[in-house]
Amino acid sequence: MNLETYAENTWCKGCGNFGLLNSFKDAVNELVEEGALKAENMVISSGIGCHGKTVDYLNLNSFYSLHGRAISCVSGMKIANPNLTVVAFQGDGDAFGEGIAHVIFSAKRNMDAMLLVHDNMVYGLTTGQFTPTSDKGFKGKSTPRGSIEEPMNPLALVLASGGTFVARGFVGKRKHLVGLFKKALLHKGFSFVNVLQPCVTFNNTYSHFRENTYILEDEGHDPADFQAAWDKALETERIPIGLFYQVEKPTFTDLLLEDLVPAERRKPPSTAISEIISER
Amino acid sequence: MVQDLLTVIVGGEAGHGVKKSGNVISILMNELGRYVFEMDDYPSLIRGGHNFSVVSSSTSPVYSHYMSADIIVCLDKRSVDMHKDRLKDGGSLVYNADTVTLDPGTGLPMKTWIKDIKGIPLMAGTIGVAAVSALCGVEFSFLERIFKANYPRGLEANVELARMVYERMKDDEGKFELATAETRPGHLLAGNEAIALGAAAAGLDVYIAYPMTPASSVLHYLADLSKKLGMAVVHPETEIAVINMALGSAYAGARTAVGSSGGGFALMHEAFSLAGMSETPLMVILASRPGPSTGVPTYTCQGDLDFALNVGHGEFPRIVLSPSGTNQAFEKAAELLNLVWKFQVPGILLTEKHLGESWMTTSIDPESVEITEPSLYDGPLEQYGRYEKTDSGISPMLFPPVKGTVVKASSYEHDQKGITTEEAEKVVEMQEKRYRKEKAIREEMRNLLTVATYGEGSKSLVTYGSTTLSALEAVKNVDDVRVVQVIFLRPFPDWALQEALSGSDVIVAELSISGQFENLLRSKGFDVSAHIRQYDGRAFDPPELAARIREATQ
Repeated sequence: MNLETYAENTWCKGCGNFGLLNSFKDAVNELVEEGALKAENMVISSGIGCHGKTVDYLNLNSFYSLHGRAISCVSGMKIANPNLTVVAFQGDGDAFGEGIAHVIFSAKRNMDAMLLVHDNMVYGLTTGQFTPTSDKGFKGKSTPRGSIEEPMNPLALVLASGGTFVARGFVGKRKHLVGLFKKALLHKGFSFVNVLQPCVTFNNTYSHFRENTYILEDEGHDPADFQAAWDKALETERIPIGLFYQVEKPTFTDLLLEDLVPAERRKPPSTAISEIISER
Repeated sequence: MVQDLLTVIVGGEAGHGVKKSGNVISILMNELGRYVFEMDDYPSLIRGGHNFSVVSSSTSPVYSHYMSADIIVCLDKRSVDMHKDRLKDGGSLVYNADTVTLDPGTGLPMKTWIKDIKGIPLMAGTIGVAAVSALCGVEFSFLERIFKANYPRGLEANVELARMVYERMKDDEGKFELATAETRPGHLLAGNEAIALGAAAAGLDVYIAYPMTPASSVLHYLADLSKKLGMAVVHPETEIAVINMALGSAYAGARTAVGSSGGGFALMHEAFSLAGMSETPLMVILASRPGPSTGVPTYTCQGDLDFALNVGHGEFPRIVLSPSGTNQAFEKAAELLNLVWKFQVPGILLTEKHLGESWMTTSIDPESVEITEPSLYDGPLEQYGRYEKTDSGISPMLFPPVKGTVVKASSYEHDQKGITTEEAEKVVEMQEKRYRKEKAIREEMRNLLTVATYGEGSKSLVTYGSTTLSALEAVKNVDDVRVVQVIFLRPFPDWALQEALSGSDVIVAELSISGQFENLLRSKGFDVSAHIRQYDGRAFDPPELAARIREATQ
């Protein structure tokens, strides 16, 4: 199906976002063709930053949200209508700086939503400052002498917060990334995919990731093993990509709503309110 | 002599069942066919400190409580010190004889009695209820029936204590001969409950909130009733999550509301503006407390008017209204939910603790509430644009899933399809489209009760929110003054206020140090001849307010 829009793409030539966007399109198209997903049931949301433009570039239902809040926005959609398939696109500053509380809590409550983080370890749209995942020593416009903070570990964060699907991808390994996206879209519960991507203008990491990443699936990692996932999440010498951990658990909306679909309910039980008042 | 208006104060430590006894006294009075207003005064703590409840009742409507009491029940010594000067001539003071000795007054050995029957400290409140009941000459069997309904746990012990009270107080039994009526004049509801039920009656599907006094009771009430109402009630991690979730929920087609007090709502600003830009319907319940900052959490004030009127960066239409009592709160909450969906704007129901947490005799009819459906798109799907330009500025809605088109909402300036734009012409187009809704809202308001006038008089006491309640009670004892309540605060119903005032002298009463409401009236071109302000965190005491009105109109 055609997922293109008429919006002019304004990402830099060679931007890592292209690989991510195309991989996501492939994942959606393949799942739709396989009959595993209905495109009209999908709603995507983004935060603010270069990644945010994704919603303009995809012909899917969307809510271009605020910096850090896309996962909250799609969580609300899921509460209103649990039949929707919701995806939040966020940047690394967006997800782990401004909106970190929502990431932790979405994992904690096993919100049935996908969070896809465009992790390029730099603020691109605001022209190059350090982010929560920038390396110590990173020289950005707000840290001209180098960042004095250690970088955050997103995978360990989400694992520790209760995430039921925790993965890392790399835009340089497109086919592998499409596979991860497909699994994440089908996962029932909170699915987190941290995508390593270069910012060609402010933090070009292509060759670094090409040289240092390896695919977990190639080394027999068992995603059902939490301890193994934890150990892999802490690896820094070589960078594992792939599905670290997956487990099935009841989702927030399963437990909250049972059979209720708030968006489809147009009237309260007519006598309920009268009854409530008459008891007073 | 038969007495109509009766005020009771019950005071004690937190943990002595003070609020419960206030509630049961209200229920007792209500069952005797009397209108009730109950104000609960409590500091921000869990145990100790001092709580008191004031219950004013009468066979005609009581709009607000009085601070001078006919009966004062003191469950501890501190209550005696705090309240004894509030006793009216001929009133009765009942105190805990285990902690203090007083003359005059009726001492009851509360602690000893509770110990004798192996009861718990909470039962001091029960003794208070029984004392009031005895003084009012309520038949014991009648009280027993009230107890059965309200003290299901430890019923026997409570009844036994009541019997001991009646026995000890038999000389004073029936000292106050109360006017009564055959039927109850209404149901007892707190303002926040009425707001919650009003929204529910207008089809509220989802309520999302983070606890903050004095808004929390909306969350508690709806969470408790959610299964019965078929509603989703969610308490997320922060107020920022609250409002962003709410916008997602409304985007997906669920009627959604959020609630908080000033500090929590301050955290919601950015997304309130997003509601304006994305034209997502959102109802906000703003229960204000005395500020600034953490302020005085469990008390009442009207210092958040400017805040409510101006919240959110950028320019976009919104609705702000403020109800007075529970009946109006129910109606206006329902109305606001309908309006925000009709016009796809954010709307604030501004209230205060004085309405939100006070119990009032309420007569409401949920069946009378109609649900206004939003404008829905029924054209060719391939042409659909979420922000289609229309004369009214209202773009027809669709909610996913819809096969054949996409629904794109945005925080960025956007074109009619919802795709980001920075082109000057398109920016103007959308700014104007949104702004046209302001005019449409004003037109709609001409069919609504935007300003209410109560009583007659050549002078107007102008109020808004729950201060209207204090005003209505005060003018019962002032000649030639009517009360004019401005219900809609934005857009401002200047036409309706002009008609209501019809050139009369204007006195403004509000709970604000700077006179935000008065300034609003002046900014809209209304003359104000005098003002009455209070900012101690307490509602106006009607007799004191009456004296200040007389002074202001001389």
